Amino acid sequence: MNRIEFMTELAALLQDIPIVERQEAMKYYNDYFDDAGEENEHQVIEELESPKKVAATIKADLGIHETERQNGTYGEFRETGYKDTRFEKKDVPVGRDARNSGGEYGSTESSRSYSDTKPPRSNSLLKVLLIIAIIIVGAPVIIPLALALIAVVFSCMLSVFLIFLSIVIVSVAIAITGIVLFCIGLATLIPEIAVGLALIGTGLILGVIGVIGTIAGVRLCIIVFPGIIRGIVWICRKPFQGRAVA
Amino acid sequence: MVFNTGAALLDAIVLAVVSKEEEGTYGYKITQDVRKAIDVSESTLYPVLRRLQKDECLEVYDRQFDGRNRRYYKVTDRGMIQLNLYRTEWKDYSKKINELFEGGVSV
Repeated sequence: MNRIEFMTELAALLQDIPIVERQEAMKYYNDYFDDAGEENEHQVIEELESPKKVAATIKADLGIHETERQNGTYGEFRETGYKDTRFEKKDVPVGRDARNSGGEYGSTESSRSYSDTKPPRSNSLLKVLLIIAIIIVGAPVIIPLALALIAVVFSCMLSVFLIFLSIVIVSVAIAITGIVLFCIGLATLIPEIAVGLALIGTGLILGVIGVIGTIAGVRLCIIVFPGIIRGIVWICRKPFQGRAVA
Repeated sequence: MVFNTGAALLDAIVLAVVSKEEEGTYGYKITQDVRKAIDVSESTLYPVLRRLQKDECLEVYDRQFDGRNRRYYKVTDRGMIQLNLYRTEWKDYSKKINELFEGGVSV
């Protein structure tokens, strides 16, 4: 780790303290490195141990400082009686409490007390465990539910598909009926002219309606089916997209 | 070091070190000077300086040095009062401790 990496990490670790405090601390350690000189850079970094420790030290003192001021227990300084604590409090938001009571400084022994002021570790592990637990507990319920949902969606799609298909089939049937009636009409023309003519007429009308219906139905299917298929694809893809975002 | 340095003693030492310089002194030098007397890690002193500054025992100003602005610390009047308080307290304290240590029967 070099100086720049150290300072960058320190700045990142100090994101949650007031901006004035952060600037002050950064200025101090920047000066410190400057004054130590390039040749001592490594030694200084070694001495400071880690940005984490430095950040913890700064934060620990901010915490103690504020709490002691608020409680009015900052013993020695009370004797000189300062009056402006009210103004200085503004530097730190109310409620930022002491994280550590590390009242002793210095010796290598007491520096250990800073180790428990590390920033709270992210509880991602806990989250993963929680998710696994939910899956295990919820599996008997969630899996059948999901299957049912898929089945419902699928059947809805299928029924829409079939409705349009049936329109085509009905139209074809009407056309066939018309043709058949036309033929029967021709056959009955000889014994009974009136009935034959009526049947031929009806057959022609039905035939035309059937042909028009068939053409219209096929056209409709050509328009609608790609839409339905696209819809199915979209629905199938959605859960995966959702997961990717989450 | 066998003895722990409490917060008040550390404040007193820092005030004493800074008060040695009329013109004020800077973080790195303060750290080096304090370390002549007690064993503190380099990260210990910044919070102390910052606190003393907030308590108006120290004032800071920036001065050009080597083409950059270096931050200087200087003891204020309030800081001097505080330091003198520490001095008398320490005299009293160390005298008593010395009496205890030296007054006994030596083997």
